[in-house]
Amino acid sequence: MYLALLALYPRAFRVRFGDEMLDFAQRRISAARRAGVAACTRETIGLFADVVTGASRQWIDTLRERRRLARDNTVTDALPRENMDIIIQDLRFALRALARRPAFTTVAALTLALGIGANTAIFSVVDAVLIRPLPYNDPDQLALVWGTQGPQGNQGVVYPDYLDWRARNHTFAEMGALRGQSVNLTGGDTPDRLIGSFVSASLFRVVNTKMSQGRLFTDDETTVATKAPVAILQYEAWVSRFGSKPDMLGKTMVVNGTAFTIVGITAPNTPMPLGAPDVYLPIAYYPNAHGLDRGVRGILVAGRLKPGVTMAAAQRDLSAIAKQLEREYPATNAATGAEVVSLKEQMVGRVRESLLIILGAVAVVLLIACANVANLQLARGATRARELSVRAALGAGRARIAQQLLTESVVLSVIGGVAGLAVAVGLTKALVALIGPQLPVEPSDIRLDVPVLLFALAISVGTGILFGLAPAWQASRANLNDMLRSRMSGGLSSVMTRNTLVIVQLALSLALLASAGLLTRSLMALQRVDPGFDGTNLLTAQFRLPPAKYDSPDKIWAMFERTIAELRAIPGVESAALVRASPLSQNGESYSVTIDGKPPVKAGDAPQMLVNSVTPGYFSTMRIPVLLGHDIAATDRTGAPGVIVVNKSFADATWPKESPLGKRIKIGDEDWRTVIGVVGDTKHFTLNEQQLLQGYIPHAQRPQIFTSIVVRARGNALDLVKPVREAIWRVDRDQPVWRFKAMQQDLDAVVASKKSMMWLTGLFAVVALLVAAVGIYGVLSYTMSQRTQEVGIRIALGAETRDVRRMVLGEGMRLIGFAVFVGLLTSLGAARLLRNQLYGVAPNDLATFGAVTVVLSGVAMLACYIPARRASRVDPMVALRSE
Amino acid sequence: MSQTDPRSQLPLTAVVLHILLALADGERHGYAIAQEIEDTTEGQIRMGPGTLYGSIQRMLGAALIEETPQRRRAADDDERRRYYRTTSFGRRVLELELQRLAQVVRVARRKRLVRDPGVA
Repeated sequence: MYLALLALYPRAFRVRFGDEMLDFAQRRISAARRAGVAACTRETIGLFADVVTGASRQWIDTLRERRRLARDNTVTDALPRENMDIIIQDLRFALRALARRPAFTTVAALTLALGIGANTAIFSVVDAVLIRPLPYNDPDQLALVWGTQGPQGNQGVVYPDYLDWRARNHTFAEMGALRGQSVNLTGGDTPDRLIGSFVSASLFRVVNTKMSQGRLFTDDETTVATKAPVAILQYEAWVSRFGSKPDMLGKTMVVNGTAFTIVGITAPNTPMPLGAPDVYLPIAYYPNAHGLDRGVRGILVAGRLKPGVTMAAAQRDLSAIAKQLEREYPATNAATGAEVVSLKEQMVGRVRESLLIILGAVAVVLLIACANVANLQLARGATRARELSVRAALGAGRARIAQQLLTESVVLSVIGGVAGLAVAVGLTKALVALIGPQLPVEPSDIRLDVPVLLFALAISVGTGILFGLAPAWQASRANLNDMLRSRMSGGLSSVMTRNTLVIVQLALSLALLASAGLLTRSLMALQRVDPGFDGTNLLTAQFRLPPAKYDSPDKIWAMFERTIAELRAIPGVESAALVRASPLSQNGESYSVTIDGKPPVKAGDAPQMLVNSVTPGYFSTMRIPVLLGHDIAATDRTGAPGVIVVNKSFADATWPKESPLGKRIKIGDEDWRTVIGVVGDTKHFTLNEQQLLQGYIPHAQRPQIFTSIVVRARGNALDLVKPVREAIWRVDRDQPVWRFKAMQQDLDAVVASKKSMMWLTGLFAVVALLVAAVGIYGVLSYTMSQRTQEVGIRIALGAETRDVRRMVLGEGMRLIGFAVFVGLLTSLGAARLLRNQLYGVAPNDLATFGAVTVVLSGVAMLACYIPARRASRVDPMVALRSE
Repeated sequence: MSQTDPRSQLPLTAVVLHILLALADGERHGYAIAQEIEDTTEGQIRMGPGTLYGSIQRMLGAALIEETPQRRRAADDDERRRYYRTTSFGRRVLELELQRLAQVVRVARRKRLVRDPGVA
C-alpha cells in the first residue's frame, strides 16, 4: 500500500528514493507493530500524512525546477526565498482565481466541506473507539477469559476452575476474578442500591489499580478460607454517594446485611474491565448460594499476559489445563473449556464492524464529492483555456501551469476542509447523541483532538491532490495551438475522463443506496418481529434480597407472596407477577435437561433449556397465550410435586407427535418435573435471536433471592414507579428496588442501534445521490454547451424539439445504463460486507436492488432532462452566430 | 558544481541542521539518520520518510551532503540502503550555522534571557 502512495511522488524522486523510503516505512511499521495495534494504526496515519505532504512539496520543487530549466539555460543558484515567493504567488493567484468564480467556489467548497466534515466526524468516533489505547498500562496484554460449555462460548467461569487456571498456567503474569452484582446498602434514610464488584486481590494487580487513599485488598482477605469483611470505594462513588467525606477509611458500611470496613478509595477515573462499580468487595463474600462451588458458573476472569506471549499461546495453555480438569473432575467439568479474548476485542468487537461500514460509506461520499469537483474543474479548465493559453504564450511552462492548477485545487480543498470542521463539530455532536449510548466509550472521549484534526488536514490535502490531478495533468498535456483554438480544448480524452468520473459517481451512489435499502429492510423485518408478549403499559423492575436476612427458601417465598399481594392492591394495576429474568433484561440461565423416555445422550449434547421461575398470573400479565394445559397454580409450591410449563418450540421439538402434557423433564440434577402446560414462544435476550427452547417453573418451588417484577398498568406504566416502590417498602423497609423500565423502552432499544446504522447509511446514500446527480447534470450541460453549434445546425436543418431532447437524453441514458451495471456489481460486493448486519433480508435481495436502481435512474434522468430541454430550445441563429 | 558562498545557505531549517549534526560523526543511511535525530532530540523531532528524503534531495542538490561510493558498504547490508556523508562544503555551512546560533545564544544570555546551563 505504501508503494501505491509513493506513486504520488514525481517519477524522478520515486526512482531515486523509493526503495529507501519503503525500507524506512517498513522499519517504522514493524517497530510500531511490536508496541501494539493502536501504535501501529497511529504510525500508519502518520506515514500517510508524511507521504502526502512530502509529495506535494516535492512536486512543487520539481515543477519549479522544470520551469526554470525551460525558461533559461543559465542555471543559477536557487535561493529558498525565491521558492517561497513562487508558492506565495501561486497561492495569491489561486485565491484570486477562486474569488473570481464565487458560484463555482461555493458549490465545490460546500461539496468538499460535506465530505470532509462527515469523514472527520466519523473518524473522531473511530479514533475514540478503535484506535485510542485502553486506559491501562500495556493494554494489549490484558485479556478476559470466558468459560465454554461444548459449542457454547461466552459463559461465566467456575470459581475453582479459575483457581486451577491461575495456579497451573505458564502464560499469564497474573489472573484475577470478578463478578459484578448490585448490592443493597442499608443504614441510611432509604435503602440504596450500589453496583458492587466481588473481586480477588489479584485483579487489582492485573489492571494495576492506583489508590487515592488507603490500601488494596490482601490475598488473604479475598480467599474463602481466610476472608475478611473489607471494602474499597470507587473514587466517583465516594464523591457522589458519600459527599467526599474525608474520614471514610476505617468506617463500616452495611452491604447485603453484612458490615464491611472501608480500607481504601481508588484514584479518580480508575478503569475496570466491563465497567467500574461503586464498591469492591472480596469475592469470598459472593452472595449467591453455592456460587463458588465446582460446577457452578458465575464469575468472570481477567488476566495479564506475560510480556511477549500472544493471545493464541494463552488460549492453548488454558485449553490444555481445561482438558486436565475434565479428566480430574469428570462429573462437573465434562466438555468445559476456556476462551481467551483480548480486552480490546471484548470491548469493541461488537461495534467494530458497524463503525468500519459507516466509515466506508462516508469515505465513498467523499470520493463522489472529489469526482464531482474534478469534473467541475475539468469543465472550467476548458473554459479557462484562453486564460491559460495567454499565460503559456507569455512563457509559462506546462509544468508551471499544472502547478498553478494543483495549487488551486489544494487551496479549494483546504477551504472545504476548514468549512468541513464546522460540519464535523455539529455532526460529532449529533453522532454522540445518536449512537453514543451504544458505544463502549464515554461520550466525552469522542472529540475533535489533535489526531482527528491531523486526519482532517490529511484528507483535505489528499482530496485536493486527488481531484486536482486530472485537470492539472490535462492542462500540462494540452499544446499551445490547441489551447489557442479554444474550441478544440475539450478533446476526446477529456470527454472520456468526465464520463468515466460520472459513471463511477453514479455506480458508487447506487451501491450506497442498495446498502441503505438492505439495512432499511432489515430494520423493518426486525420491527415486525413478534416478541411473543405485549409490551404496552408493562412496567418491570428488579430487586435482590440480602442473603443474610433471607436465609431460607421459606423466608424468601413469604416475602414474594406479600409483595405480589401489595402490588395487586395498587390502584391502576391490572395484574402483577414475579419472574426471575424478564425478557430483554439480559438476565437468564440455560440448563441441560433430561427427558423421560428418551435415550440418554452424552454430556454436552443434552438439550439446553432457558429456565425461568414465575409466579401464577405471569402469562396473563405478559399476555403470553397458554396453548395447552394450564398456568402454574398457587398450590404448586415446595412439598407439592414438581411441575413445569414449556414453550411451543420445546414441545414441538421434543414431542412432535404426542401431547406434551404429563411428560416428565429433569433440569440439571433436580427431581423430575411434570409438564402441565404449553405456552407461546417469546424472545428473551434480543429480537433477532433464534427461537430458544424455554421452560417455566413455579417461583414457589425454587425461590431465589433475585427476582423481577412485571406489572400491567391500566394507563402509563411509568406512572406506577413510585407506588410500586412504596408497596415493596411496605413489605420490607430496607429493600431497594431498581431498574424501573417500561417494557416498551427495552423493545425500542433493541431496534435503536440498527436504526442509527440505517439512518447514517441512508443519509450518506442520499447525499451521494444528490452529489452524483449534480455531477451528471454538470457533464451533460457542459457537453451540450460545447455542441450548441451542432444542435443549431440540426434544428436549422429541420430536427424537431423531440429529436434533440431524445439525443441528449440518449447520451445521459448511456451513462446511466453503464453506471447501473457497474453499480449493481459493486452493490453485490457491498452487501456481502453487510451480511452480519442484515436480518430477514437476503444480501442479494432483488426487490431492494430493483427499487434503488429505479430511484437512481429516476433522479439521474431528471438531472439529464434540464440540459436536454435547454438544448432543444437553442435558437439556430444564435447558435450559429456564437462561433 | 561551482561552490557558492556557504553563507547563502543560512539560516538552516531545523531538519537540515539536525541531519548535518547526525552526519557529523560519520556516514549513515536514511533510517539511521532519522533514528539518531529522534534519540538526540529526545523524540521532539520525529520525521517520516517523506520529510527526510525530501530534505536529503534538497541537501544533495545544494551539495551539503553526498552519497557514499558503492564500495564502502558492508557486504551484509540491505542493498536498498544508501549511505550519506557531509561534504566539506556542508561541514563549513554547519560550522557557520553553529557560530551563528552561538552568537544568538550569547546575545540572549547577555540580556539574561537564558539561564546559564554551565556549558560554553
